[in-house]
Amino acid sequence: MHKGVEKSVGVRMIEVRNLSQTFQTAKGPLQVLTDVNLDIPRGDFVAVIGRSGAGKSTFLRTLNGLLIPTAGRVVVNGTDITRLSKRELQKYRRTVGFIFQQFNLVNRLSALDNVLHGRLGYLSAWRGLLGLYTEVDYRIAREQLQRVDLAAKESARVDSLSGGQQQRVAIARAMAQQPTLMLADEPAANLDPVLSEEVMRTLKRFNEQDGVTVVINIHALDLALKYAKRIVAFKRGRVVFDGAPEQLSQDLVDDLYERKEMLV
Amino acid sequence: MSGLLFYVLLGLLLAVLAGVAKGSMRRWVVGAGLALLVVFAAFPFSRARGFLSRDTVDPTLLALVPTFPLLLLVPLSVLVALVLARWGGRAAGLGGVLGGVAAIIAAGWWYAQPAQIVRLHPVEGLIELLIALGVAASIALLSFSRPKQRVPILIGAVVAGVLAFVWFHAPQGGGVYLPKSLGYYKLLFPTPPATQQEIAEAYNRALPELNAIRKELGQDELQPIRSLADLQGALPQQASSQGYRLVQPATTQYGAFAVFFLAGLMLGAGLMQLGSPRLQEPDDFRAGILIALVASFLIPAFDATEFDLNKLVVGWPFLQQFADRAWPPLLADPAAERYPLQEVLSQIAVTVQMALVGTFLAAIFAMPLSFLAARNVTAGTPLMRSVFYATRLFLNVLRGVPTLIIALILVAAVGLGPFAGVMAIAIHSLTELGKLYSEAIENADKGPVEALESTGAAGVNVVRWAILPQVLPLFISYTIYNFEINFRSSLVLGLVGAGGIGYFINEKMASGQYDQMMVGVIAIVVVVNIIDFASSWLRSRLV
Repeated sequence: MHKGVEKSVGVRMIEVRNLSQTFQTAKGPLQVLTDVNLDIPRGDFVAVIGRSGAGKSTFLRTLNGLLIPTAGRVVVNGTDITRLSKRELQKYRRTVGFIFQQFNLVNRLSALDNVLHGRLGYLSAWRGLLGLYTEVDYRIAREQLQRVDLAAKESARVDSLSGGQQQRVAIARAMAQQPTLMLADEPAANLDPVLSEEVMRTLKRFNEQDGVTVVINIHALDLALKYAKRIVAFKRGRVVFDGAPEQLSQDLVDDLYERKEMLV
Repeated sequence: MSGLLFYVLLGLLLAVLAGVAKGSMRRWVVGAGLALLVVFAAFPFSRARGFLSRDTVDPTLLALVPTFPLLLLVPLSVLVALVLARWGGRAAGLGGVLGGVAAIIAAGWWYAQPAQIVRLHPVEGLIELLIALGVAASIALLSFSRPKQRVPILIGAVVAGVLAFVWFHAPQGGGVYLPKSLGYYKLLFPTPPATQQEIAEAYNRALPELNAIRKELGQDELQPIRSLADLQGALPQQASSQGYRLVQPATTQYGAFAVFFLAGLMLGAGLMQLGSPRLQEPDDFRAGILIALVASFLIPAFDATEFDLNKLVVGWPFLQQFADRAWPPLLADPAAERYPLQEVLSQIAVTVQMALVGTFLAAIFAMPLSFLAARNVTAGTPLMRSVFYATRLFLNVLRGVPTLIIALILVAAVGLGPFAGVMAIAIHSLTELGKLYSEAIENADKGPVEALESTGAAGVNVVRWAILPQVLPLFISYTIYNFEINFRSSLVLGLVGAGGIGYFINEKMASGQYDQMMVGVIAIVVVVNIIDFASSWLRSRLV
């Protein structure tokens, strides 16, 4: 019934084969991803780096099934997610947490309500419609709020929280899904350096304590080098580097960002 | 004639006002010139009578050209003025002056002409051609927004244009439904003196018979005529049915006022352009086209709405009498057992209650409907898409029917009283709220929607938890605003018998009890303002 979504296949979490993505724009077709091949093992912490428009966001959205690729396969946990039905896709998505640059919280609701949204995928449609979460759902949601140090703010409307707090609510929402995979699209880009570090530390903690595989798009190279176990670099839709942070050479970074001198 | 000179002065005055506003004057020369060309070809200028009043033809300047070629001076002088305007500077000013003067002289000369007999020559197919061009042009406009399908759209436009022409031109098509349009535009050709003499003699021959009838009716006898210029009133029936008409240059139509006004404007603008030629701007021709467009729509509209300040002067005594009898308002007259204030307050309450119930019903039904009418919510499957289009169509068609008309029909169905009003308000508000709500849904932030989709929530739950919390305050705000509008429209609904204070006012107006009616009017002013204030205060606290 779960069609292998929760069936574990070895240590390989994500397997991307010959992935290409082309968008139809007003100016004609635009090739965003070209022949991407990648393997990500379970429990990895991968930082995807590259300039704006290099295809990082498209890659991440494809992993989540928000975009259907033009060509190629994406196998997560042994399931090819590019050929799922709508219902199967919903089942897959509840095992994948997604964190957005803009937080994407529902502003008029409380922090707890927003975290509970992470449990919607586990409820039947009508229970969700009436907001009839189970005791377990409440326990998980409160637990996750606690882990991001926001237990005291559970009934505060999220638009009354600071940016850093809002992003932590969003992380708690993703964690309430009890995901095996966590995707984060520039989670720190809207935050100041101190809060950025905080968000990265939180993700790192979940990675280490819960064994959640984390794939994160990030602009700030210093944060990527400091927190990630592995770096994948995109340039113009192609993977140009895939390895440990120490292996990333200065020349490659210069080439990646198409500049003469490293400014950081 | 002096009346027409008044319009010249009016044009000059407008030119002076435009000059005081410190703009380029050339655009006014161009605008007046282009508008004059429109007037020349399309506005009724004079009147030509036949036997019956429906035989009357109002010819344009262009239609009069075969009879009176000097009228060609109007478009020719305008064209010269436009060419000189292109040149710019003092030449443009000179063109305006010359064009304006020539147009005034040519048109003025026409008014000095005696009455004469002309023969009609309908221009076949002209109106049909204009309709066909309109159809083709409006389809061709689509090709701007869809450049990829330009060729098929243009072909479709041509085909539709040809079909429109064929249908309108056919006697069983346009001939049945728009009988006036076939051969609507008529040119007036002169008649040889011999024919005119014949018609006059025929008139004289029929005169004894006609006079016998007139005597019976107690009217004066008519004298035999020597020429048609002496003819009073109508043309003989036979001549009329043969296509002859009596043109009377002295009877002016609104096109004549337009010609003199525009010529005056052109003259004045030309004079001021001579004075300050450097004020001209590169886009004067575009501005001129805009001025001409406005003039060509505005001038016929004034005529069609029978705009005449003189009527206000004539009606002044009534207004005075009304004011005398309406003030002071009669609040109560216990001796005669009349209690207008009491009645007004009860009826105002009914009116507010009508608006309340109508708005409530509309909101209840609009809420689910608006989700079906929102593009972003119905994007999923082809079935949902078609539901979306059906809902949109339903709301758009129904929204076109005003509350008053729904009320008129419902009063006939369910009888006089507030129930018809409530239903009319509910039905019309449903369409307004449905549109406002669905726009709010479409404008909701997509971020939370994406976030909830990525948690694996079902579609209905994404709508419930990502969209509904965002739009609910807007829904409430729109509903309050709609209540405000509904209160005002329920005032008018009383006039068609759908209950409330409007009914009271209508009744008191009809029976001449203006002092009682005044109580209602004052109450409406007060309550409208209270509701406006309360509604905007409430809405400002919501968002």
